[in-house]
Amino acid sequence: MAQIPNLDNSPINLSSIREQSQKELLNILKNVRGKKCLVIDPKLGGSLSLLIQTSLLKENGAELRHLSAEPIQTECSKVMYLIRSQLNLMKFISSHIQNDLSKGLQKEYFVYFVPRRTVVCEKVFEEEKVHHLITFGEYPLYIMPLDEDVLSCELDHTFRECLIDGDTSSLWHVGKAIHKLEFSFGVIPNVRAKGKGSAKIVDILNSLQAEEPVNSSDMGTPEINTLILIDREVDMVTPMCFQLTYEGLLDEIVQVNNGAVEVDASVIGTQQDGKKIKIPLNSSDKLYKEIRDLHFEEVVQVLRERATSMQKDYADVKSTSQSVSELKDFVKKLNSLPEIARHVSLAQHLQTFTCKPSFHSRLDIEQTILELQNYDLCFEYIEEMIHKQEPIIHVFRLLVLLSVSNSGLPKKSFDYLRREILHSYGFEHMPTLYNLEKAGLVKRQESKSNWLMISKALQLIPSESEAANPNDISYIFSGYAPLSIRLVQHAIRSGWRSIEEILKLLPGPHLDLKRGGSTSGSAIDRVPSFQSNLDRVTDGHRALVLVVFVGGVTFAEIAALRFLSSQDGMGYDFIIGTTKIINGNTVLESIISTN
Amino acid sequence: MAAVSVAAEWQLLYNRYYRKPEIYSMQWGRMDLTRHRVACAPFGGPIAVIRDDSKIVQLYAESARRKLHIFNSAGVLLASTVWDRPGGRLVGMAWTDDHVLVCVVQDGTVYRYDVHAEICAPQFSMGKECFEQSVVECVFWGNGMVCLTEGNRIFCVSDFKNPKPCKLADPALEDYPLCVAVIEPQYTMHGNVEVLLGVGDHVLAVEEDSVQQLGAGVDPLQKMAVSPNGKYLAAFTHDGRLLVIPTDFSRIISEYSCESTLPPEQIAWCGMDSVLLYWEDMLLMVGPTGDPVRYLYDEPIILIPEGDGVRILSNSVMEFLQRVPDSTVSIFQIGSTRPAALLYDALEHFDRRSAKADENLRMIRASLPEAVKACIDAAGHEFDVSRQCTLLRAASYGRAFCSQFPRDYFQDMCKTLRVLNAVRNHEIGIPLSIQQYKLLTTPVLIGRLINVYHHLLALQISEYLNLNPEVVIMHWACTKISASSSINDTDLLEILLDKLKLCKGISYAEIAAHADNSGRRKLAAMLIDHERRSSKQVPLLLSIGEEDTALVKATESGDNDLVYLVVFHIWQKKMPLDFFGTINARPLARDLFIMYARCYKHEFLKDFFLSTGQLQDVAFLLLKESWELEMNLLANKGSPLQGPRIRLIEQAQKLFSETKEQNFESKAAEEHAKLLRLQHELEVSTKQAIFVGSSISDTIRTCIVLGNHRAATRVRAEFKVSDKRWYWLKAFALATVRDWDSLEKFSKEKRPPGGYKPFVEACIDADDKTEALKYISKLTDPREKSEVSIHMHFVKCETFFIAYSGSVLNVILIFL
Repeated sequence: MAQIPNLDNSPINLSSIREQSQKELLNILKNVRGKKCLVIDPKLGGSLSLLIQTSLLKENGAELRHLSAEPIQTECSKVMYLIRSQLNLMKFISSHIQNDLSKGLQKEYFVYFVPRRTVVCEKVFEEEKVHHLITFGEYPLYIMPLDEDVLSCELDHTFRECLIDGDTSSLWHVGKAIHKLEFSFGVIPNVRAKGKGSAKIVDILNSLQAEEPVNSSDMGTPEINTLILIDREVDMVTPMCFQLTYEGLLDEIVQVNNGAVEVDASVIGTQQDGKKIKIPLNSSDKLYKEIRDLHFEEVVQVLRERATSMQKDYADVKSTSQSVSELKDFVKKLNSLPEIARHVSLAQHLQTFTCKPSFHSRLDIEQTILELQNYDLCFEYIEEMIHKQEPIIHVFRLLVLLSVSNSGLPKKSFDYLRREILHSYGFEHMPTLYNLEKAGLVKRQESKSNWLMISKALQLIPSESEAANPNDISYIFSGYAPLSIRLVQHAIRSGWRSIEEILKLLPGPHLDLKRGGSTSGSAIDRVPSFQSNLDRVTDGHRALVLVVFVGGVTFAEIAALRFLSSQDGMGYDFIIGTTKIINGNTVLESIISTN
Repeated sequence: MAAVSVAAEWQLLYNRYYRKPEIYSMQWGRMDLTRHRVACAPFGGPIAVIRDDSKIVQLYAESARRKLHIFNSAGVLLASTVWDRPGGRLVGMAWTDDHVLVCVVQDGTVYRYDVHAEICAPQFSMGKECFEQSVVECVFWGNGMVCLTEGNRIFCVSDFKNPKPCKLADPALEDYPLCVAVIEPQYTMHGNVEVLLGVGDHVLAVEEDSVQQLGAGVDPLQKMAVSPNGKYLAAFTHDGRLLVIPTDFSRIISEYSCESTLPPEQIAWCGMDSVLLYWEDMLLMVGPTGDPVRYLYDEPIILIPEGDGVRILSNSVMEFLQRVPDSTVSIFQIGSTRPAALLYDALEHFDRRSAKADENLRMIRASLPEAVKACIDAAGHEFDVSRQCTLLRAASYGRAFCSQFPRDYFQDMCKTLRVLNAVRNHEIGIPLSIQQYKLLTTPVLIGRLINVYHHLLALQISEYLNLNPEVVIMHWACTKISASSSINDTDLLEILLDKLKLCKGISYAEIAAHADNSGRRKLAAMLIDHERRSSKQVPLLLSIGEEDTALVKATESGDNDLVYLVVFHIWQKKMPLDFFGTINARPLARDLFIMYARCYKHEFLKDFFLSTGQLQDVAFLLLKESWELEMNLLANKGSPLQGPRIRLIEQAQKLFSETKEQNFESKAAEEHAKLLRLQHELEVSTKQAIFVGSSISDTIRTCIVLGNHRAATRVRAEFKVSDKRWYWLKAFALATVRDWDSLEKFSKEKRPPGGYKPFVEACIDADDKTEALKYISKLTDPREKSEVSIHMHFVKCETFFIAYSGSVLNVILIFL
């Protein structure tokens, strides 16, 4: 199975977007004639693996390398860099060029920025006095499909940059990405945004529309009906909770990267030990599509049923009383066997983690924190983790959860825990603590927490009786409905107005507007209320909602949205846009790594 | 019948009709073309007139100083200026495609004027050789020119937009050539101009790097003209014959012997079908065969070749000689019974309420669409408005009886004619034929209109044809600014905005740039404010020195690239302290600057933080330096001296202690320094370099693992490690080295402050269940107890799953 996902079942023509990006990339390669050494920054290379086969790049005369501090060893006289316009990468390139110069090598250098040239990156080359040696270009890849309903800008550090560094460049990137989508699918008429970044994106989107208008008259009705933008900052609780869906759990435990996991060969059952195997995970795998969003416990059940039925069929076959057509059915079923085997192995691997008592106690403590019931118990639990020197990332996840739900920590325990962390993990974590405080993730308590109020108003934690309700998204976290998804639910159902009071308790402004080209005026008249437009499925046409998470989204949240749209009577499909797929660890890691 | 009188004006040449309607009577009053050098632009362009200084002429009531006059095609004066250019006699003057008047004087200097008789581009010289040898003759085409010198050398400028004079190959002539013509670059094989020289009894084709002899023995040629498509040459021989030959001289296509052997003054192609020869008083039109047509003139004329005919300019009128288009012939030819003629006739009957109209229509029922189309086409070819009307009415009348005829065709023609009639008005003076108009295209026509400041008409045409009026309004605005030096900025802005708002998405930045170039910086600033495209607005603001506004606009735009642009601009312009001040007042600019500086300008960043009083940030930078020092030490396995590191940390501590908010950091830095010193001591005393870089807890564990309990206790005391943590650390450290006795002893020292959990977990962690059991019984908390027992059973649960899934795998293995 290929790592490049199949997009045929997408509710919107994502293939065309991907094909365009492929074509642009190949054109760039063709622009530089002859043999060349293509140096890709590794993060970008990972993303590109979802876009294009590396063999295609090689066919165009490119010798592939990954960008690092090491000088490039190549026979080619043309060196082509394909890099994200990220500051710290520039020094590698300039050092490569200087290295070549010192050896008296004469080469042609091409630097293609993804998605565009920036003043600041070129400034680095100017300062290093290599600018005149380079031919610059752009590869305008702003957004790419990860799966049939997920689009990503592949921006790793949006959250950190916006909240800690004050660098809002990624907001412009997201705005531009959405604007590009509008060129293909029409101007999105309804926009709801929550959070500072989201509001800024709406601004940017509007000014982009003013600068380079999407001509709505030749596009017909817009294919995407509503855009919902939500800042990650608005809901930092959800990513800190351990994900319990199959896909979420895979990401938490073995890390899903660019739509694939890498595991030891032994996990999959082959005998070569120590070798890593890459397993692609996307909707092209039918079984995976079925179980990816289920709670892990259910996944185990489904797999068990599949396996037993297979076993039964096998027994029947052996009893030889089968007709030929029955045999044929059986053989057909056998085709799904490799898929079953693969997921059984993966599930088994996950189970070695979920069986541990520490796993359960962690889930317990998460729930306790969310219910805001026993602060001391939570505090002691975290204290003990620090004393035991458990991985610092685990400590931070719970600490952030505790701090965010309590609107900060009482000064005494705040200072105490910070000191214990520095003592246990080293003083090198001082900037991390400072950053966490700056981002408001772990801070001193200054006001009373309003988490309970939010949680009650949005029914984030269902009561015992409701917990049995199979139609609610709270199944995702075994009894916690993600705040972000609840907001989306409200935004679609009735707009922000009904939960205005709650929104005010969450960080950042919210806004709700209608836009569009010259025809927008009449469009509004025709659709008196948004509700009637969305909730009722007229002529079998399902409205399409683009939900963009600024600062990242977790697999659990994606699962929740898919679950919502699969519910009876919900007349809409979701396309999920994000700056990056994240989980609690990756968000915190980007804050911890100081450089 | 009216139809007869139309055809009565035609002349038959061979089997084709020609007509020569008068399009303008010239508005320029008394004019004698013979006294002047005249340059007429094709496509109904302007006419430049200047007194000919190569002739001796009588001066009437006029100044002795020569004046350059520019008229439109109807002889309306557009502009004039005194000709006072040095460099000798004017030897060549012509219009380029862009309506730039190129004037070449004897010494090879080239002056360029616009239609307003103003110098529009810097003068340039054709080179030293031209200067020394003197230019004798110039031949122009589209945007290029060749000139011949007295030394019989040829020089060429292939594009006046980017004038780079170059010398062509030397034809090595002793005498000046008899005649000269050029084949335009677009018609030659190699894309460079080819010059034909009539020399002796042959022709030389001169290119940039070669000279080729053509048509040997063709007879000396006195006059030549290349056909509009560059394929044929019309040549007048010394014995009075007119030859038409392909430009490769492979054969003679036609030949006509004139009565005179005197070479004509002018020779020109009329379309592709005939050649015009002009001697004083007589214009002779020679076709492929048959008798030529003779026109007599009692005043001098100038032939202006167009693609589909020749305009004939005389002192008093402008005429257009063209072959009568087929559709017109089919209607107006005497005795024509073509459907179009019958349709036209039917309209006349209809107007007279005669029943014959119906009869006519019946006769041509089957070919009605063809007839309608012919009438529409013929209308398009007419210059006379009333005749256009009649023809269109005829078409409209016929169309009523054939519903399938495409409606657009009629409408488009009406639109085209409206535009043509508008520009043909003598005030505008652009007598385009429909064919010329189609060749020229509307945007170019609009460009020409705005060039001569007919902005309103251009705007009306744009709106009428649904074209974007941006070009027109933009040009108007710029012209307005240039022409309004006496209007103050605010008023002018209002006047401009009033019109600019007509056009959505117009680039205010471009107009502002023009205002700035015209020395109106304040107006420019006001205009930029209206620009919605930040990417255009910001760079312009920088160029007019409005850095602060640029920074605000860049920040608002959300495009951080622009912010960086401004930041770097200011950085370059200002002293560091000023720069710091500006940046610090703008959070986004500051943060972006810090991002960049963090990567590439570490020291400068420190200065910034210091000068703006952000001491804690300096402190963090110092800490970072200290950690980087450690990395380097580790990498180099260098000296274990921690002095420089500790000094940095202490500096940081001092900075932290400056503010109350950083109390925590200050204490931490203090402890950090203390730890390093202590670790250094430990490394010296244990002679093992394993302490530096680890945390306090790690240090304690390492000490215990090494059996150095005294050191461990010392570290504990130095850093006031709590009992709780101490128990965890020690229990785990002892379990790591499986020192079970010490562990037990430790557990019995006193009642552990946090219970026995650390002991149980340490044993389980070391995978020794029997040891663990010792302490499990001592657990008091039932919750802890149950957790541990689950842990002990955990192995079972795992085994179950493996057993179960193993069976599945069996199935799989059987079939694979």
